[in-house]
Amino acid sequence: MINIDFYAYSNKLNAVHPLEKVLFAVITMLICLLSGSIFTPILILVLMAVAIVLMAGIPAHLYGRLLLLPLTFLLLSVLSIAFSAAASTVGFWISYRFGNLVVGIRFPDLIKAMHLFLRSLGSVSCLYFLALTTPMTEVINLLRKLKIPVLITELMILIYRFIFVFLESAATIKRAQSSRLGYINIRSSFRSLSQLVVALFGKVFIKSRELFETMSARCYGGEINVLAKNHLVNYTNYVLIGVCAFLIISLDIVWR
Amino acid sequence: MAHNILEALEVDFSYANGTKALDKLNLLVQQGEKLAILGANGAGKSTLFLHFNGIHRPHSGQINYKDTPIAYNNKGLIDLRKKVGIVFQDPDSQLFSASVWQDISFGPLNLGLSKKEVIRRVEQAMAATEIEDLENKPTHMLSYGQKKRVAIAGILAMEPEVIILDEPTAGLDPRHAREFMMLLNKLNLAGTTIIMSTHDVDLAYSWADRIAVMNLGKVIGWGEPAEIFSQPQLLLQADLALPLILEVQTALVQKGWLTDSTPLPRNIEELLDSIPEMYPVKVHRCV
Repeated sequence: MINIDFYAYSNKLNAVHPLEKVLFAVITMLICLLSGSIFTPILILVLMAVAIVLMAGIPAHLYGRLLLLPLTFLLLSVLSIAFSAAASTVGFWISYRFGNLVVGIRFPDLIKAMHLFLRSLGSVSCLYFLALTTPMTEVINLLRKLKIPVLITELMILIYRFIFVFLESAATIKRAQSSRLGYINIRSSFRSLSQLVVALFGKVFIKSRELFETMSARCYGGEINVLAKNHLVNYTNYVLIGVCAFLIISLDIVWR
Repeated sequence: MAHNILEALEVDFSYANGTKALDKLNLLVQQGEKLAILGANGAGKSTLFLHFNGIHRPHSGQINYKDTPIAYNNKGLIDLRKKVGIVFQDPDSQLFSASVWQDISFGPLNLGLSKKEVIRRVEQAMAATEIEDLENKPTHMLSYGQKKRVAIAGILAMEPEVIILDEPTAGLDPRHAREFMMLLNKLNLAGTTIIMSTHDVDLAYSWADRIAVMNLGKVIGWGEPAEIFSQPQLLLQADLALPLILEVQTALVQKGWLTDSTPLPRNIEELLDSIPEMYPVKVHRCV
C-alpha cells in the first residue's frame, strides 16, 4: 500500500493532468465491464500493462505482485460459476459422477467464468493504473473541482494525511517495544500489541486537539480552503483517450 | 520610539488536569524586536505562545495587542491571528495536508486574499524557506527538517506582523538552522517582530535584542542579553548555562588577558577582535 503511494508521486506520468488519467482509467474500466467479447479484457490487460510498466515506469515485478493480490479472491468466486451439479451428464463438457449426483463444467459456463474473471482483472488493472500514477492529493483536488460535497473532500484530506502520521507513530512505538524485547514470545506480543493500540488511540485524541489548535492559529473558520496547483491540459491526450476507447469498442463489437 | 505590540498582564492559566501553567505572568513585547524566551521544559513557554494567538484564554489577567485587550469573539480572534502567526514545535501537528502546496496555501486563503496573491505568497514563502523542490512531494515523505521548513513557510505566507516560533532550530541540521536564523533576521529587518523560544543560550545571546527568562509559569528576568547573563542568581534559578562566548570572556578577564572594562562581546568575532596580541608574554620572557 505504501509502495503504491510512493509510485503515485514518482512515476513518469506525474506531469500529466489528473483528469486525463482519471478519464483514461474510468472509460477503459467501463468498456471492460461492459465488454461482450472475452478478448476485450485481455486487450485491456495488455494495454494497462504497457501504460503502467512502459509509460509510467512502474517496476514490472511490483505490478505483477499487485495483480496477484485479487487473484485468490477472483478464482474462488469464479469457480462457483464454472462448476455446476445436475442429475445427468447431459450438456456437461467435463463431469464426474458421485452416486446420483453429477458435478462438472458446462462449456458455456466455463466461457462465462473466464470472461467474468478477465473482466474483473481487467477492471482492477484500470484502477491500478489510477492508483499508481495519480497521487491521492490530486484525486481529492479533482473531486473538489467536480463539486463533491466539501465534507467528504475535507475528510479525505485529513484522513489521507493522518494515515501516515499514525502509521509512523505505530512503527515508532513498535520499534521501541521490540528494542526492549516486547515481542519475544506470544504472551508478550499480545501485551505489547494491546499497549500499542491504547497508546495510538490516545495519540489520535491528542493529535486531533493539536491539529485544531494549529489550524485555528492559521485563521481556520470551519472550512478547509486550499489551493491546488494547476496542471497543463494536454488536448492530444484527450484525443488519444478517445481513439483508444473507440478502437477497443470497435474490436469488442467485431469479436462478439 | 518603541511601540508595544504584545503584552501579557498578570496572566494566570491552568490546564484542565490542574497543572498551573502560567502564574501571574507579565511580559512586554515591543514592535520590531527580536525576543528570545529561555526556560526549562515545562516553564510555560508554549502555553504563553498559545495565549498570544488567542488559542488559550487567560483565567485571569489579560493579553493586549497594540495596547488593546484581545476580543475573544470570532472576529476579534481572526483579526489577531492575521497579525500573530505561530510556528508550532511539532510540524506533524501543524501540517494537515499531504500536499506541501495545499498546506502553505491554507493560511493566506483564510485571510481572504485573491487567488493570484495567494499564489504569489505561497511561491515567495517556498523560495524563502528553500522548499521549491518539495512542491510535488507528499508531506509524509519529507524528513523532519523539511517538514519544519514547510510549517514555517505556511506561516510566512500569511505575512504576519509578529511571528512566534516554538524551538524553531530544534531538529534542523546546522546549515539549515543557520540559514533559518538568517531568514528570521531578514524578516526582522523588514519590520516583523519575532518571538522565539529556545534552549540554546548561545543562540539567544548572540541573536536576540531582548531575552525573557521563564521559570514555573513566571517571567523572572527580562532585559538585554548582556544584562540577563550578568545576573548569576537569575541564571542559577532558571538553571541556565552561561553562553560559551561569555565563559571565555570571563576566563580571559580573570587571567589578565583582557581588562575588566572590555565590553561584553555579542558574537565570536567581537570576542576574537578583543583579544590582544601576544606581546605581554614576550615582554615577560625578555625580562
